[in-house]
Amino acid sequence: MSTPPTTVVLDNKAVQALVDVNHRKHRRALAFIEAANQRSGRRRPPIAVIVPVGVRIEAGWDRSAPGAAELNRISRARDLVLDGRAADRAAQLRQEAGVSVVDATVAQAAEASAGPVAILTSDASDMRRLAASVAGDVTVVRL
Amino acid sequence: MTRRSTPRDADLFALLDRLDGDGPTVVSSVRQPAALKEALKVAVGLGLDTNANDATVQALRDRLEAFAQRRALDAHYAAHPEARPSLAEVAQAAAELDGDPIATDAALIRRAANEIVAVRPGATADDVLVYAAGLRSRASA
Repeated sequence: MSTPPTTVVLDNKAVQALVDVNHRKHRRALAFIEAANQRSGRRRPPIAVIVPVGVRIEAGWDRSAPGAAELNRISRARDLVLDGRAADRAAQLRQEAGVSVVDATVAQAAEASAGPVAILTSDASDMRRLAASVAGDVTVVRL
Repeated sequence: MTRRSTPRDADLFALLDRLDGDGPTVVSSVRQPAALKEALKVAVGLGLDTNANDATVQALRDRLEAFAQRRALDAHYAAHPEARPSLAEVAQAAAELDGDPIATDAALIRRAANEIVAVRPGATADDVLVYAAGLRSRASA
């Protein structure tokens, strides 16, 4: 039987797809946000959407910019901040899997979040390798 | 004389965004069914939350966030109708998030979405997945 996630972590590509209405995966990215929204307030645990702050930097997502208002509103994604301890863990994951800094923070965010966790990404192979290194119930969903 | 201003979406989002900080708190009383209060007390005892206050605030916040997001999504679709995912696409996304094996059968999910809206126009993605599971079960019986 499947286990619904309680947290969805967005990576850079997922953010790019959400922010650009002309992106070829915009509608598919919205389908995941819709699925999360539909479950909130029903007799199921709500799904929290989070974005590691490193992803926001890479994606150029400045929440205070006027152009980001729509993305802020439709995603309702909460920031996951990177403190010293989280940076240590991301550094370990980066070393183990040989991935980018931002991808390592995505994996660290997944590990630190309430599970089960789904990582929404277009780079499923790298992320699956990372997900195998993290503790907890983490799955990778290809955007 | 005070005039009550028309509620605006921007105000709602601005207030919700302030919830992430350590803003001021207020004490308010809410009339609620006695059984709800008791049920909350029992649920906290069972581990739902650290206390009844946190559980109440979180539940209310979740509801407001979902409502605000619904309005934002509907406004987005009004401006960009082509961006609205179909019920089948949302059900497909839900199945993939869940790791549900039915996610591999997109045709079955599309069929379930088409059939269920005929009998339940307000069907959700989860309704579609239950219906699709029923179709699959019937087919294999």
